[in-house]
Parts: sequence; structure tokens; C-alpha cells
Amino acid sequence: MHNRASLILGVAIMICSGWAVYAASGWPWKAALFPMVIGIPVFCMAAAEVAWVLLGKNPAARAMDFQISSDLPGGLVIRRTLLAAAWMLGFFAVIVLVGFPVAVPLFVFLYLRLQGREGWLFSAIFSAIVWALFYAIFKWLLNLPFPAGWLF
Amino acid sequence: MKNALALVAALALAAIAPQAAAQFEGKTVTIVVGFKTGGGYDRTARILARHLPKYLPGKPNVIVQNMPGANSIIAANHVYGVAKPDGLTLGTFNRNLVLAQLTKVSGVKYDMTRFAWIGSAASESTVLAIRSDLPYKSFDEMRKAGKTVVIGATGPGANTYDFPLLLKELLGVDIKIVSGYSSSSDIMLALERKEVDGRAGSYSSLQTFVERGTVRPLVRARAVEPGIEKLPVDENLAPNARAKAIMALRSAPEVVGRPFVMTPGTPEPLLKAMRDAFAKAIKDPELIAEARKAKMDLEYMPGDEALRLVKEVLSQPKEVVDEFGKYIKFGE
Amino acid sequence: MIEAFFEGLLLVLQWKAFAFMLLGILLGFWVGLLPGLGGTTTLALMLPFIYAMQPIEGFAFLLGMHAVVATTGDITSVLFGVPGEGTTAATILDGHAMAKQGEAGRALGAVLASSLVGAIVGAVALALAVPVVRPLVLSFGSPELFMIAIVGLAFIASLSAEGARGMLRGFLAGGLGLLVATVGQDPQAGVARFTFDSLYLWGGLDLVPVLVGIFAIPEIIDLAVRGTSIAGELPAGRLSKGAFEGVKDTFRHFWLTIRCSLIGTFIGIMPGIGGAVSQWLAYGHAAQSARTPEERKRFGQGDVRGVLGPGAANNSKEGGALIPTVAFGVPGSSSMAILLGGFFLMGLVPGPDMLTKHLTVTFSMVWTIVLANVITVAACFLFLNHLARLTSVRGQLLIPVILVLIFVGSYTSNSHYGDILVMFVFGAVGYLMVIGGWPRAPFVLGLVLGKIAENYLYISVARYEAAWLTRPIVLVLLALAVGVVLYPLIQSRRARSRKAQHA
Repeated sequence: MHNRASLILGVAIMICSGWAVYAASGWPWKAALFPMVIGIPVFCMAAAEVAWVLLGKNPAARAMDFQISSDLPGGLVIRRTLLAAAWMLGFFAVIVLVGFPVAVPLFVFLYLRLQGREGWLFSAIFSAIVWALFYAIFKWLLNLPFPAGWLF
Repeated sequence: MKNALALVAALALAAIAPQAAAQFEGKTVTIVVGFKTGGGYDRTARILARHLPKYLPGKPNVIVQNMPGANSIIAANHVYGVAKPDGLTLGTFNRNLVLAQLTKVSGVKYDMTRFAWIGSAASESTVLAIRSDLPYKSFDEMRKAGKTVVIGATGPGANTYDFPLLLKELLGVDIKIVSGYSSSSDIMLALERKEVDGRAGSYSSLQTFVERGTVRPLVRARAVEPGIEKLPVDENLAPNARAKAIMALRSAPEVVGRPFVMTPGTPEPLLKAMRDAFAKAIKDPELIAEARKAKMDLEYMPGDEALRLVKEVLSQPKEVVDEFGKYIKFGE
Repeated sequence: MIEAFFEGLLLVLQWKAFAFMLLGILLGFWVGLLPGLGGTTTLALMLPFIYAMQPIEGFAFLLGMHAVVATTGDITSVLFGVPGEGTTAATILDGHAMAKQGEAGRALGAVLASSLVGAIVGAVALALAVPVVRPLVLSFGSPELFMIAIVGLAFIASLSAEGARGMLRGFLAGGLGLLVATVGQDPQAGVARFTFDSLYLWGGLDLVPVLVGIFAIPEIIDLAVRGTSIAGELPAGRLSKGAFEGVKDTFRHFWLTIRCSLIGTFIGIMPGIGGAVSQWLAYGHAAQSARTPEERKRFGQGDVRGVLGPGAANNSKEGGALIPTVAFGVPGSSSMAILLGGFFLMGLVPGPDMLTKHLTVTFSMVWTIVLANVITVAACFLFLNHLARLTSVRGQLLIPVILVLIFVGSYTSNSHYGDILVMFVFGAVGYLMVIGGWPRAPFVLGLVLGKIAENYLYISVARYEAAWLTRPIVLVLLALAVGVVLYPLIQSRRARSRKAQHA
């Protein structure tokens, strides 16, 4: 998994930096200098990284960063990851469709019920509390306006 | 005859007022501001938001929504095309957006002449100010001295950059523009460090420094504010008609310094009610006291006048616009 | 000056000003804690309420609120891995790692104690700097600020993973950050760079959605995958005992905490650098304090020094940022710009007057910062164990709440859905980086320093041509940057030779 992610990142960076340098070449030099001075080395470094991954030279060293817990079977991890991503994107879709004030309690309720497998009553009360807090802070206290959704 | 007309007018007003009140009662009016919280446009909107309700029929709640992005083009597009013309959405944005429309900046989805204009809450004049410890006491002296004057700027599209650019390109003043400072306050710091010799900007933002004696204003643009009336005006020093037209074009929006509009198609009665409320709120003694404390100088320019000026800008001949576009780029 | 020092304290202790300060603290506590609320926006929204207050009361309120936000923002970073504020993201790396190992209490204790130390150092600096502040700030021009950005970028070397491959990835991440920073309209030629004709991208990418995406989203996914609470399967008993341990850590690494506070104060004093930078420089410096490369590898896994550094720096920078605001009328950060608005409302003109005629007011601000932080830290310690217990709540309950907060938070700063999309994009990037073992800190460094480096370079060259390279401070900073880059290499060489000796 490590290597595939590195490969994806490496290739993505190559594409981005390559395209950036290409786009920058048409600009006046003042605007193009920085993107080129950074983009060209980044492209080369990304190419080197991709080459190394493909050649199989992968260090056991880890980054100074946190590690995704690896004590679960790979298939389960992938399934749960995709599920989590789906929930997040779904939340965004619901926000766009019905607006924040409706989407918030709806999402919390659905997540608790479907993903969290909590009981009906608990989910309903929890969602109500979350919605009340959201309303109190963002709408009533701060008066921040939220756009209407596409549907209503 | 006059009595009859007066009667009809009174009846018409009497008919409008309850209609407007019905529209506003219990609702929330939103002022969409094209900039982040804390800036000049935002503070102007907020001070008005506090005092407008008492003068609006139905006494609605007035709140501010910040919609920064693309130098307020996003906010203008929103108020123009997305908001409903129900009188509940106002917009205030960069005064130079009319120039963006004129120079056909991509992404502009509004037409300044079709907004329902409420008016302008202030005029903002641009001046060029130089460090006081430099020997030039007047614009003429500076030009004749023959030494390069370093002016700090934030970037193209801001008056910190555009005003000195025109002075340099059209009047031939020996100015070197050093651009890239994150804000006008950073330029002031660079000025105290003697890294730059001066900066251009709105008089209201420079006023504190002028009063403290840090800088001296030397030349101004067309709009007038108390304190700078005697300064030479850049347009008047132009060597030819074309140069004068270009400078006038840059300065024109400044008279409509804090524009406020509503969505095109807003019903007449609501627009009128809002205009009246604005005019009264700006003269409200409490607002004036608050504004003075916050160092804001508000003055109402009626919507029709603002619209007239905007139309004037947009009807400039093509050659002037083309040459203008060579110097002035609408920026972030 | 000594009289002003004590008079300032008396001013704050007047019961009305004190009450307003408490109110500000209460407000700031929640603003910092909730990732949905930004300290800057809320500060601006509170401005109108200041109209009704006297100057001292108004300050007590504004500063009380503002001083506290950085502390509670750290709490969110530690407990949930979500940046409570844009300025508290660095605490996530080690702080949240500690929380996941059941050491939430210890991490919180460390964060609170270091925040207090940082705040005091920042306030003391403000008080002491009064006579020297003008010449100090004036001697750092654009060339010097550019070099500071270079020193910051040099820390990328220390924050990468081990070995040549690790360095490569670190620099790749940094380079990517620098490239992303160029999105938007450039201030030299006005070219819209990499904006894909989108108005939203004109001004460049906003920091908060990127940070929330790159840090919070991988954490949430991880939490969802594990299906447990944040602290995992560890027994509940271990959670509460940590707080005092964290405080002891602060004193165990006292000089590091002080040094990081000074870094934060210094960066805060330099206007134009921005609030997000100091925490990362402090983190980089803390990482360097590891004596061997093996020790340094543990950063990002839960080394308490990775919490102390940023915790101290993001509080001390507030005291630092107040200095140019008060002394020059030039705000040291965007929140200071709002505070400046408050100054005008109260008829106080910042500038040299504040250091002479109105010195008492200046000192009362110093005292407000100190008192507000002391009170907040004390209050937090009372609730610490309850806060830490949140890490044993089922992940399934926390996830929807966190998601609601970060979605609302990302949206409300610009009222644009684009921010949420940015959050997703960088969420994906952050996730890939974590899986692939790429360090994220260098990316953030590149992102926050990119614009600064570019702009100040152009200004320096335009103004001084080549002469700026020979300015004394520039040369010192250049040497510092070289030192920072070489330090990890020298360390590993020394470690290798030491191993060879013992073999």
C-alpha cells in the first residue's frame, strides 16, 4: 500500500509540476520565474521518486508523521475507507441539495443510525442536540447566512 | 393643479409604504460584502447594518454576509444573478468593478448599469504621499528634482499601484514602483524603514500618518475630501486629452466610493424604501458619532447619480478604453 | 516606566474591565475550540459591541478573547486531530499521536503549560521591547524577511523522513507546497496563475480548508476504519493521570520551551510573515533538539517536544504581534488588524504615543494577555480530565460532529462551496501522503512561506538590486539557513562515527 500511494503521488506531482512549467513558459518573466524555478526541480525529483518506486527500492524508513493503523486486514481497511469517503462526499451532496440547516441534522441522524448502528431514540436526540447547537451558534449568535439548497 | 399632484403623490406614497413594510416585516435583509471581515467595505456595511433597521418600514433585521473572492467579483455576480429580487439582498463591492466590466475581465457576469442602485455611502480619494523627511514640498519640486522616487505598492489593480503607474507612464514622473507588499500597512512600515519613499492610497487610510507627520501628500485624484482640496489633481497636469481621459477613467469610480446595490428587477417601492433609509441612516446622529470614532467619513450619494457616473465610465470611446487597458489591469 | 507597569495591572483589575475580560475569555474559549469558528472573524464580529464600552474594558474583552483562542485551538488539535485554528495545526502531529496512544491527558497538560509559558514570554517581550522595538523592527527590511522565509524553508530538511529517500520526499512535499502557494494572481505582472479561469482561485488558496483537509480528513478516515475511540482499546485508567506529567514535561524541556517561545515572539514581531508560520518553525526547531536520527524519527509518533514547541510558539506570537501593532500602527497579523480597528474606535492612535503618553494602556494590554492565559489554563486544567475522556468516546459518535464542524467552518470563512471542495482535494492528498509515508510538515511550510519568499525576493531585487545580499543581517540569516539544513546531516554522521567507535 505504501508503494502504490507513493507512486500515485509521484505521478500526480509530475503531471502537476510539468503542466505548471509548461503553463508558466507563456507568461512574462516576472510572473513565470518562481513557478519555473520550483517546478522544474520538483518535476525531476518526482520523476526520481517514481523511478525508485518502480525499481523496487523502497526504504523501510517511515516519515515523521502518523501512521494509518495497520492491525486490520487490508480488505477491511479498504472497504471502510471507501465507506468513510462516501459518507463525506454524501454529506457535501446533501448540503448542496437541501442547504446546511437541514443537511446537518439529517446527516448526523443517518450516520448514527446506519453507520453507528445506534438506536432510533438515541440517534434522534443526538441529532437534535447537534442541530440545536449548530443553530444557536452559527445562526442565532453569529448571524452567518447559509445558502438555500437546490431542492429547497 | 399642484394640490392635485401633491395629493396623488401622497396617496402613492401611502400606498407604497405599507407595501414595503409588508415586504420587510419580520424578514432579514442581508448585505453581501465582497471582502473579508474587518476591511473598509466591511466596516461601512456593518455600521449601516446597525442603523438601517430604524428607517426601514417593518423594521427588519439587517445582517452582513462576507463573500470575498476575486476582488469582490464573486459577490457582485452573486447579487446580480443568484440573489432573488425581493429587496432582501444588498451588495457592496470594490468600487473599481465598473472598470473590470469595461476592460472585459473574464468572469464578470454582472452589468453595472442594470443593478438597482441604492447609492454610495462615501467617496474615497486617492493621494500620493511621500516621506516627510524628503526635501520635496510639492509635486512640482519632486518632478524637477530629477531623482528616482521609490513607491511601494501591493499589486496591479490596487490604487497603491495604479495611481503612481499612471503618474509615471502618462506624466513622465521618475517613479520606480516596487510591488508585492502584502498590505498597505506593510508599505507604511517599509516607508519608515526608508525602504520606499512613499505610497499612494486612499486618503482615509493615509490620514493618520499625514496627521502624525510621517508623510506628506503631494498630488491627488479627482475626488475631493476635506484636507486635500488644495493639492494638484493628476488629470489637470496631463499633457494631452488622451492622458487626461485615462486618468479620469481611473478616478471616476472613486467618487462612488462605497457602492451599494440591489438585485436587478427589485420592485420600485422596495428600492425607494431602501434609498430613503440609506439617506436617513447616513444622517443619523448616532451613526455619525460612531463613524467619527471609527475614523469613517460617510456621505450619501443618491442612486441615480451613481448610476449616471457608472454609465459615463462605460460609454468611453474604444481607443481610450484600449489604451487604458494597457496600463491598468484589474487585480486581486 | 515602572509606574506604568504597575498602573497597567491596576487598570485591568478594575472590576468592570476584569468582568469583560472574563467574558472575552469565555467567548474565546469556544471560538478556539470549535474548528468551525475562526478567531479573526469572531473578533471582527464582536467589534460593534465594543462601541458601548470604555477603552480599557473594550481591550480587556478583545484581548481576553484573542489571547485564549490559540490555547484552546491546541486542545482541538490534540484531541481530535482537527486544527481548531489555522495557527494550531502543528500541534496535531505529535499531540494527536499521543492522544491515540492514550496519552491525551499528558499531551493536553503539555500543551496548556507550554501555552502559558509562551504567553508569558510573549508578554514579557512586549513589555521589555518597548524601548528597543522601533529600531529592531526597522532594521528588518524586505531582504531580511526574505531570508527568514529561507530559514523557514531550510527546516524542511529536518522535518523530512530519515535517509536520502526521506529527504527527497520531504523536499518534494515542500516543493509541492511552494507550487500550490503560487496559485492566484501574482503581484508583479498581474497574471492569473493556475486559476483555470475560476474566480474562486484568483486570490489563491485559503490556508484553513487546505490544513483541515490535509490533517483532519486522514484522521477521520483512520478513526472510521479503526472503528474504535480515538484512544483505541487502551484502558480508561491511563487517561487521567497524564496532565501533570505533561506539565512536568514542559519543565523537563524548559529551555526548549523558552526557545520556541522566543521563536514565536520573534516571528510575531515581524509583520508580513503571518501567524501560521511560527508554529512550524518552532516544530522544526523542536525536531532538531532530538539528539540522534533515531530519536528524531519518533517525532510525529508522539514525542512530547513536538507538542511543547508549537504550543508555546502560537501563544507567544500573539504578544509579539501586538508590538508592531501598538508601536507602529501596523498590524502584525490579520487579527491584529481587527484589534487596530478597535483601537481607533476607542480614540487611541497606535504609534509612538502608545509607548510614551499611553504607556499605561500598553502595559494593561500586557497584563491582560498574561491574566487571560493564566485564567484559561487554570480553567482548562479543571476540565482536563473530562476533556481527555472524550478520546474514549466511540468514534462513531464523534465523527458526525467533527464533520459537521469542519464543513461549516470551511464554508463560512468565504461563503463559497469551493472551500469544501479544496478540503476534499487536500484530504485526498493528505491521505495518500500518510499511506505513502511522506511527511506533511514540509508541505505546509512551503505553502505558508511561498508567497512571502517570492514577494520579498522581488521587492529586494527591485529596490536594492544586488546590494541586498551583502547586508549584515542577511548574511547572518543565510549562515543560519545553511546551518539548519546541514544540522541533521552532521548529526547522523556523528551518530554513525559514534556507533563505529563502539563497535
